[in-house]
Amino acid sequence: MVARTVDARGKSCPMPIVELSREIKQAAAGEEVVVMADDRAFPSDVEAWCRQTKNELVAVGPEDGYFRATVRKAGR
Amino acid sequence: MPPEPQAATQPLALQLAEMQTRLGQVEADARQNRLSMVVFSGSLDRIIASLVLATTAAASGMEVELFFTFWGLSALRDAGKKAKKTLIEKMFGWMLPRGTRKLPLSQMHMAGMGPIMMRKIMTQKNVASPEALLATAGELGVIIYACEMSMGVMGFKDEELIDYPHLSRCGAATFIDRAASGKVTLFI
Repeated sequence: MVARTVDARGKSCPMPIVELSREIKQAAAGEEVVVMADDRAFPSDVEAWCRQTKNELVAVGPEDGYFRATVRKAGR
Repeated sequence: MPPEPQAATQPLALQLAEMQTRLGQVEADARQNRLSMVVFSGSLDRIIASLVLATTAAASGMEVELFFTFWGLSALRDAGKKAKKTLIEKMFGWMLPRGTRKLPLSQMHMAGMGPIMMRKIMTQKNVASPEALLATAGELGVIIYACEMSMGVMGFKDEELIDYPHLSRCGAATFIDRAASGKVTLFI
């Protein structure tokens, strides 16, 4: 299965989070969404967004020139 | 010898009923996951800040309501639309910006150079324009209210407002009610 991916590189706040929320809305519970973003606020923002929306932040970290986060949609 | 079942359960049932009543009251008073924002200022920078927060809150699963009042209403005007007005209303209309593309900056306006430079820099840095943010807000279900009283003061008419999917008019009492029962309130 191909993972859901959001490439928000080059986009600034608030678009990476807006695009992540769009993709999560489409996803089924338990499904993972991978987000790529180079907005420097993205790591802290994606963590805060997951806390607020109760989705699970599986991983977030720097890649080559951008950040990559994996979010699992909450619920069953 | 065990107590009579009736005698033992009756007080418990009463207690349960009272707890349910109290729980109902607590739930009714609980703050809803909603952002209510007053958008008072009609400057480009403040409108962008309002829309960034509104779209982010909506993307975070919050209900979002923006109450546009006084100078903020200029952002809701559509430059391409016309409305029938009195002389004074026309004068207000000429002096106030027609929509987001005409908004001044609150600082470094520099006779109109400021907003042009700001937009240019924002485009270079891939920051969404206020027009794009408004479209995103509409798509995310952000509700916009135009203050009835300020619309009257500024002489703005329904016919000259932008096409926005969730736009209506309201008064101060609506904002107070929504703010009182919501989690977050802002005034920008």
